[in-house]
Amino acid sequence: MIQIRDLSIAYGKGTPLENNVFKDFNLSIPEHQFVTVIGSNGAGKSTLLSAIAGEAEVQSGSILLDNKNITNLPIHKRSHYLARVFQDPLTGTCENLTIEENLALANARTRSRTLSSFRKTNRRSVFVKKLKSLQLGLENRLDDKIGLLSGGQRQAISLLMASLQPMKLLLLDEHTAALDPKTAKFILALTEEIINTEKLTALMVTHSMSHALSVGDRTIMLHQGKIALDVADEQRARMDAQELISQFHYHDIDSDALLLSN
Amino acid sequence: MNSFAFFGALETGFIFALVALGVFISFRVLDFPDLTVDGSFPLGAATSATLLVVGVHPVLATLCACVSGAIAGLLTAWLNVRLHILHLLASILTMIALYSINLRIMNGPNTPLLGVETILSPIDQLDFLPYYIAYPIAFAVIAFSALLVVVSFLKSETGLAMRATGANPRMARANGVNTTKMIFLGMAISNALVALAGSLFAQSQGSADVTMGVGIIVIGLASVIGGEALLSTNTLLKWAFACILGSLLYRIVVAVALNGNVLGLQAQDLNLVTAILVTLAIVAPKLKAKFKHYLRGLKA
Amino acid sequence: MMNNRFSATLILLATLLCAPAFAIDSAHKHVSITQIVEHPSLDAVRQGVKDVLKEQGWKEDENLSWDYQSAQGSPATAAQIAKKFAGDNPDVIVAIATPSAQSVVASARNSNIVFSAVTDPVGAKLVQSWDKPGPNVTGVSDLTPIKQHLELVKQVMPQAANIGIIYNPGESNSVSLVRLIHQHSITLGLKVVEAVSPKSSDVQTAARSLLGKVEAIYLPTDNTVISAIEGIIKIAEQANIPVFSGDTDSVKRGAVAALGFNYYEVGRKTGVMVNNILNGASPKDIPVQGIDKTELFVNPGAAERMGITLAPSLIASAKEVVK
Repeated sequence: MIQIRDLSIAYGKGTPLENNVFKDFNLSIPEHQFVTVIGSNGAGKSTLLSAIAGEAEVQSGSILLDNKNITNLPIHKRSHYLARVFQDPLTGTCENLTIEENLALANARTRSRTLSSFRKTNRRSVFVKKLKSLQLGLENRLDDKIGLLSGGQRQAISLLMASLQPMKLLLLDEHTAALDPKTAKFILALTEEIINTEKLTALMVTHSMSHALSVGDRTIMLHQGKIALDVADEQRARMDAQELISQFHYHDIDSDALLLSN
Repeated sequence: MNSFAFFGALETGFIFALVALGVFISFRVLDFPDLTVDGSFPLGAATSATLLVVGVHPVLATLCACVSGAIAGLLTAWLNVRLHILHLLASILTMIALYSINLRIMNGPNTPLLGVETILSPIDQLDFLPYYIAYPIAFAVIAFSALLVVVSFLKSETGLAMRATGANPRMARANGVNTTKMIFLGMAISNALVALAGSLFAQSQGSADVTMGVGIIVIGLASVIGGEALLSTNTLLKWAFACILGSLLYRIVVAVALNGNVLGLQAQDLNLVTAILVTLAIVAPKLKAKFKHYLRGLKA
Repeated sequence: MMNNRFSATLILLATLLCAPAFAIDSAHKHVSITQIVEHPSLDAVRQGVKDVLKEQGWKEDENLSWDYQSAQGSPATAAQIAKKFAGDNPDVIVAIATPSAQSVVASARNSNIVFSAVTDPVGAKLVQSWDKPGPNVTGVSDLTPIKQHLELVKQVMPQAANIGIIYNPGESNSVSLVRLIHQHSITLGLKVVEAVSPKSSDVQTAARSLLGKVEAIYLPTDNTVISAIEGIIKIAEQANIPVFSGDTDSVKRGAVAALGFNYYEVGRKTGVMVNNILNGASPKDIPVQGIDKTELFVNPGAAERMGITLAPSLIASAKEVVK
């Protein structure tokens, strides 16, 4: 589904702060695969997602989505095919718009917008049904401003928003990182459910090694812009967090924060 | 105050309500501080005055004024999104350029319109209603029509996309919104409204003058912020209506100040009074919240 | 909650609206006067009107109500002032400067209006013609006798072929004057070089642009330029280019000569018209007046500093010689 070929991304090229995040990076993810990505800070996890989404400037290489070259496509056009959930619940929603309005915005992600009233083109009953499935009692609060909700509730809605319309790829950008453990678990379970039900192709960046292994089909470990580890199927099923940590040491990765965030 | 002054305040208030609506779109919806209005207001006046003086039909001349305002808005948007100039700065550049452009359009700094056929001429012919009551009614109709158009637009899918562009452009783009297009569209609509106000003002005042735009942004902001302080802004309709109300109230306060007898205020004090009122309007919600908090503390 | 705010607003509104309106006593006469902006020339006009009325027996606390409002440069405020005056329906409305006059004529269609310090009343569409102004409007124009001014320049400097002018293209009075300067300069064999100064801080740049191109500089009665005239004088002295002005106060400030009228006199003329109307005359019977009397003001010291000497006969004929 997605193929990244010889991708090179550098920040501050030509300045003393030049940082080559990726150099000739390659990655291929087949359809319906759910990949988790871990790595130390600065390994390039967020940059990878940003590059696919269109927010990072690519020096060379190409990104193909379903065999279509999207490397030079602007963000809003890529959004027709991609859905994204951000780490910060504030980033992914509009605080002063209502739940209904946020859902309506996401509902039009894949098409061009018209001048008809947004209430006419988005049936409230559909939104109510979808919100009910979250089991958070939000189906009665369609007219509340989303800013009134907690971080966990907003992330749940963000997930829902991402899944409202069909997509070729779901990007999850450390979307449980800002939540408390109980809520994080809830969101992760919801994520899994949505991905399994819709048979989505998904790429999830996470800082939690247990999360990385407990969901998905394949785990990739990034280090300094390269793939340090790439496990799937049985090899991955046999792995646990401890072994992942030893892999870190094997690849000479020294990141206490990562090791302690289990 | 006498009835003439009161109706005069309403008349000016309804014309400037269009400015308030325009500033509402740029400043509140798009989060784009836009000083272009100091230039697009006289641009609308200049364009329509120049056309009216050569006999162009008043409705067409006024429509051309709107188009000219839209172009000014597009220029500011272009400077901001294509050349990556800070929005405030981009709007100032357009405003400065418009001063010279307006002089060129009118071939001089002032175009008198007394005795020229304007969009208001048919109203002068009405015999059942004196002009000083008919004008405010006419402008009220225009202001409320603009209100309905703006609110229904903002409630459309595209309008919602524009609101998202101002509230959270990153989220908007992630949801397929072409934020660049939204900024162009919003700035065009906003400045078209302001240019319309300028055109109507010139036609009711008897002249278009190149300096008539100075301070328009302050009047617009005072109307929007003042209206928000007095009316709730829960729904778009209430919010936009608050802008119109703010404009009317501002003009009534001016009329009161001109009366000279209330609190010893005079027209000279107007700028100071505006500054105080706008400051109060901005601070009032915070003071209210603090006061409520204090009351809650007392109850506990 | 919203209801409380809204009703508070309504109560406030009601209180303001009930504020006392202007009380008019019929034995009293009422004069309302509006200016577009506070400015020494325009203030002098107002003073002239006031003084003449006082001399004619109109006393403010006895038989005259005097209401003065300045629009502080805002056309929107000028509009509201015009409407307030229309409602007050005074015996005479005096409007000083073109924008205020246009506002008042548009709004106070049934009142007696006397304008003042308007350079081109016909061009501004305030009146039909100078002789037969119209039903309710007349006034005093401050149109400079340009021809006489240019003749003065030629008289002092017969060899001058090029004359520079500095003005603000945003002042409609100046634009009208510049047009006249172009017209008359042709007949006098003078070539005109323009320099614009949109703000008073631009005058020096404008003056410098004339160096090497002109033998003399003439400054029309432009508010922006005259307010910063010292900057022009300094540069002119350094370059030995004499500066002439349409405004007599400039001579004290360093200009070589001016054929003057001053705005106080304009105001006095206006006051005479106002007095006539208060005594029963109608504006339609009063032709628009302009400046007829001019007096020569000279500054021999400034002339020396700018490289020329004024003829003794010229100095002798001057009304005022600045030392």
